[in-house]
Amino acid sequence: MRQATPVAGRCGLGDHDRRLQGEIRRTQENRIVRMAGYIEGRNVSLTFRPPNRAPLRALGGFDIAVEEGEFLSIVGPSGCGKSTFLNVVLGLTKPDSGEVLMHGKPIGGPGSDRAMVFQEFGLLPWRTVQHNIELGLELKKVPAEKRRATAERLVVLVGLAGFEQHYPHELSGGMKQRVGLARALATDPDVLLMDEPFAALDAQTRDLMQAELLRIWREARKTVLFVTHQIDEAIYLSDRVVVMSKRPGRAKKVFAIDLPRPREYEMRVTPEFNDLKLEIWNTLKDEIVA
Amino acid sequence: MAETQTLDARVAALGGADAAPHRSLWRRIEPAAWGAGSFLVLLLVWQFVPYFVPLKPGTRLFFTVPSRVAATLWQMIVSGSLWAPLGVSATAFAIGLAIAIVVGLPLGILIGRSSLLNAMFDPFITAFNATPRLVFLPLLMLWLGIGLWSKVAIVFIGALFPLLINTYEGVRNGDKLLINVVRSFGAKEWDIARLVVVPNALPFIVVGLRLAIGRAVLGVVVSEFFGSQEGLGVVMVRAASGFQVDVVFAGLIVFAGLSLLMTGLVKLVEDRMTRWRPEHVNAP
Repeated sequence: MRQATPVAGRCGLGDHDRRLQGEIRRTQENRIVRMAGYIEGRNVSLTFRPPNRAPLRALGGFDIAVEEGEFLSIVGPSGCGKSTFLNVVLGLTKPDSGEVLMHGKPIGGPGSDRAMVFQEFGLLPWRTVQHNIELGLELKKVPAEKRRATAERLVVLVGLAGFEQHYPHELSGGMKQRVGLARALATDPDVLLMDEPFAALDAQTRDLMQAELLRIWREARKTVLFVTHQIDEAIYLSDRVVVMSKRPGRAKKVFAIDLPRPREYEMRVTPEFNDLKLEIWNTLKDEIVA
Repeated sequence: MAETQTLDARVAALGGADAAPHRSLWRRIEPAAWGAGSFLVLLLVWQFVPYFVPLKPGTRLFFTVPSRVAATLWQMIVSGSLWAPLGVSATAFAIGLAIAIVVGLPLGILIGRSSLLNAMFDPFITAFNATPRLVFLPLLMLWLGIGLWSKVAIVFIGALFPLLINTYEGVRNGDKLLINVVRSFGAKEWDIARLVVVPNALPFIVVGLRLAIGRAVLGVVVSEFFGSQEGLGVVMVRAASGFQVDVVFAGLIVFAGLSLLMTGLVKLVEDRMTRWRPEHVNAP
């Protein structure tokens, strides 16, 4: 299977790099993006060894090159190591072998140049919206005055003005994830890591949040690594979509999504969109073990 | 999501109850009213026992009624004979409990967060916890005398374990996701404890504190019964040997009051610290 599509497989890394080197692409919004390995995963392997259970090979030689300012989605079957890879980029998990580089330097631990938006929101229930957003700044010892100013700005950006003093249990799922997003943006990271951020939301809220995310991404200009199960979501949001193999996860194929931006909901019913969807599904379905 | 929906529903239900103040007021005080009512009935029955049950003069010597207990307690309060022994007992209680908190909370957090410390301390904690702590009383009296410090020591070891064990359990129950969240923002171990672990363990700590208060009172009473020079327990023992049953009951009420007062204080602090919760009644 891998031999048939050696786009970003283990042996395909060299080709991939050469293809990317110095290449310049102009996006629909006239943003000039230099195609260089901004975040690079090289042959990343990781095995979980839970006590009293069989070891679990989550990642088995995962290669990836993320460009600066890019919106890149990773789709793959359940348990293929998508979230594990995000945790490695975040610096919370160390791979057994291989390495993840950012700006050409290996990632040693958490840093304020990266921030994660968690699937289950991960808001501190005893803190108000404002103080949840300020969390990262507080740990960076930013003065209270500056923290509040940042939180006030972000509350508006994510559309939660008026809810600053609410506690998480008083918010809906969509609102909670808006807080999660604002909290991640508060430390002004270069890279946003999003681990199935909308999976816990209902379908309509999810559609709305996707549009909101694109708006915020346009304004905040971050590199986004987005993990999802939904092919629709991946195509709608991304510049590129990486399809992963089943566990132990490897990059199986990379799809460039050359659909115009800014994207509207209507784009989801165009033939181009559906062609991509079918193509990605055909790549993905062999990996899904029912 | 179902979870948030039930929460929303509960919040909505609370709002709805506010719309009908009469019903909600009764609903709020109903359990308390029943409790107070049954207590009152018990007191009344007790008060009128002598009128219905013929008591032999010998039995009458060991018997008292609530009104006489109340009168005796009042007498002790106004004459001032209550304050000196209560002061002695309360001092031992306060010092012992304070040391137990100062030692138990940090130690519980440390043992909960560090598997090394957990392995080192676990045998001691298990062994001590399995032993009734009052058996140390003769030894402690031998070492520390029958003054204040043997009492403080027995209060301390009585209060320490419920606090330590509950704090430990609370820390072990720490939300892994939230710990990862703060770690991802660069939190070190101290920040993790401060921002996630302790707030998360708070309901457990409160339960530990309530148990500790009970054990501390028990420690004071028993050590004063066993052998001590001063204190409310000593007053009770002396009164009992002089057949002053009302004084014994008065002492009992004061000890119960002390325990209730402290537990109420803990509840107050807990309510202040858990205002973020949808309901204030979900301590384990």
